[in-house]
Amino acid sequence: MSAIATAGLTKVYGRSRLPIRPPGHGASIVVRALEDLSIEVTEGEIFGFLGPNGAGKSTAIRLLLGFLHPTSGSATVLGLDAVRDSVEIRRRIGYLPGGIALYDSLTGERLLDYLVALTGRPPSRRAELCERLELPPETLRRLVRDYSRGMRQKIGIVQALQHDPELAILDEPTEGLDPLMQRAFYGILEDLRSAGRTIFFSSHVLSEVERVCDRVAIVRRGRLVAVEDVEALLARRKRNVEMRLTGPAPDLTGVAGVSGLIVTDGRLTCQLAGDMQEFLAAIAGAPIADLTIEPAHLEEAFLELYRDAEEVPA
Amino acid sequence: MNRALLAHTWRSQRLKLVVVCVGLAIWSALLPIVYGTFGQTFRSIIDSGLIPKQLMQFGGGDIFSLSGALALGAIHPISLILNSIFAAGFATSAVAGERQRGTLEVLLARPLSRQTVYVTLLVAVFGFVGIAVAASIVGATVGAAIAGVAGELVPARLPLFWLNAVLLFGAIGSVGLAASVTFDRLTPAIGLTVGFTVVSYFLEVLGSLWPDAQGLQRYSVFHYFDAKQVLEGNVEAGNLAILSAVGVAAIAWALAVFPRRDLAAPS
Repeated sequence: MSAIATAGLTKVYGRSRLPIRPPGHGASIVVRALEDLSIEVTEGEIFGFLGPNGAGKSTAIRLLLGFLHPTSGSATVLGLDAVRDSVEIRRRIGYLPGGIALYDSLTGERLLDYLVALTGRPPSRRAELCERLELPPETLRRLVRDYSRGMRQKIGIVQALQHDPELAILDEPTEGLDPLMQRAFYGILEDLRSAGRTIFFSSHVLSEVERVCDRVAIVRRGRLVAVEDVEALLARRKRNVEMRLTGPAPDLTGVAGVSGLIVTDGRLTCQLAGDMQEFLAAIAGAPIADLTIEPAHLEEAFLELYRDAEEVPA
Repeated sequence: MNRALLAHTWRSQRLKLVVVCVGLAIWSALLPIVYGTFGQTFRSIIDSGLIPKQLMQFGGGDIFSLSGALALGAIHPISLILNSIFAAGFATSAVAGERQRGTLEVLLARPLSRQTVYVTLLVAVFGFVGIAVAASIVGATVGAAIAGVAGELVPARLPLFWLNAVLLFGAIGSVGLAASVTFDRLTPAIGLTVGFTVVSYFLEVLGSLWPDAQGLQRYSVFHYFDAKQVLEGNVEAGNLAILSAVGVAAIAWALAVFPRRDLAAPS
């Protein structure tokens, strides 16, 4: 069964569904925040939702949670309708908002107790999460207002996962975490996946998506650009080639998969995609002093997709 | 209604509630003492014509009787400000304030419908208002005993006094909460609620001081809390009905708007 499925999900701001417009909600410019989003997240996978700020990631999440009403299209979460069954959905999920705001006047412990009481499920994972994220009891006894940004984010992660939800929707979860805590967090995600939980993970940090996600959806200006297996995306990525030469550069023009060829004094750089055989044959016998071929990071595959999408009129 | 949310709301407001209750009790205790001590002196001054009679009928109260003194205390700006801390202040910030701070996200991520959140906060508003008005009545009773005029107070009429005052400040609270669920920012919600309260108060006071403006009083919610008449046993059911209608209208608005509105990401 799909943990999340959307069909043509669209959100346009600036149109009122109400016959009476509330004060302060006057006619505004129409903003197409999300257009025709159709994705399917399978149970038990970590699904990355990638895009720059303003791409529509948070809008999509808020539609799934029932904070926003879709202009058109539909969404189901854990088989339940995102509009009609919003309360039941929120009983079964955990949600970490982007840039989470917490009740400053409570201690960390009181805050977690309060939120779990509202959820109505026991905090079965809290102790383990606090230990892995280095939130000792003495820290939890301090007021949230005294917490650093990283500690607030850790509390945010614990409140989203402490009741062991079937599906966790995490909006920019590593924001403010130091590299050690990021690593601990990735470990938590992997354990959740092993336990059969589903993670919907919004981010603009490509390296973490590359590291933890099974599949990734890429959005741009409210539109879905691609849904790919991370492995497939990485396999399709180009390699960066750099060679230092002691003589004339080999002729790589017209060699399959080679692009971005730059030859300067004693140095050649290019990108290489696909099969390497023709490239290796072309450089055979060339006066190469040093050769480096390194795989491009997901970031470059991602930017490549973006460039392709830019060329298609929206 | 959600008990965890109600308990959290109660805990977060209890210190403020204690301060407001103590303030209202002290203020309400002072008025019977002033009446018991200076009531006859003031009557002599008024009878002498030195002070215009209208000035001594501020908002329908006076200090020539215990009921008049308590009515004066109930409509006085000090009482209004103290009661409005919950009726206007808490009510307007209950949702719009959480939304502005970003904490509404965390709350609404739980399995709570917006109707449940609203009803819980409405119960809290009426609870706080009810306790604050009760503190006024306790203060007035103690003050009357201290001044030796407790015999003029009819205990059987105090529940109706409480009910009328709760309906008045509950109506203001309902307007405040309706504004709170309507706006994303606190400022317009406060502006609307304070505007409603101040204009309403101004119309009532103006009408009580200037006979030509008496016709405007019917547009004020304060006009429907005639504390002196209630304490003298003359309860007008119409007053209670009108205050209830204002509250119900605000509640209906909130229940129509809040569940249907979009809650975009806080900016």
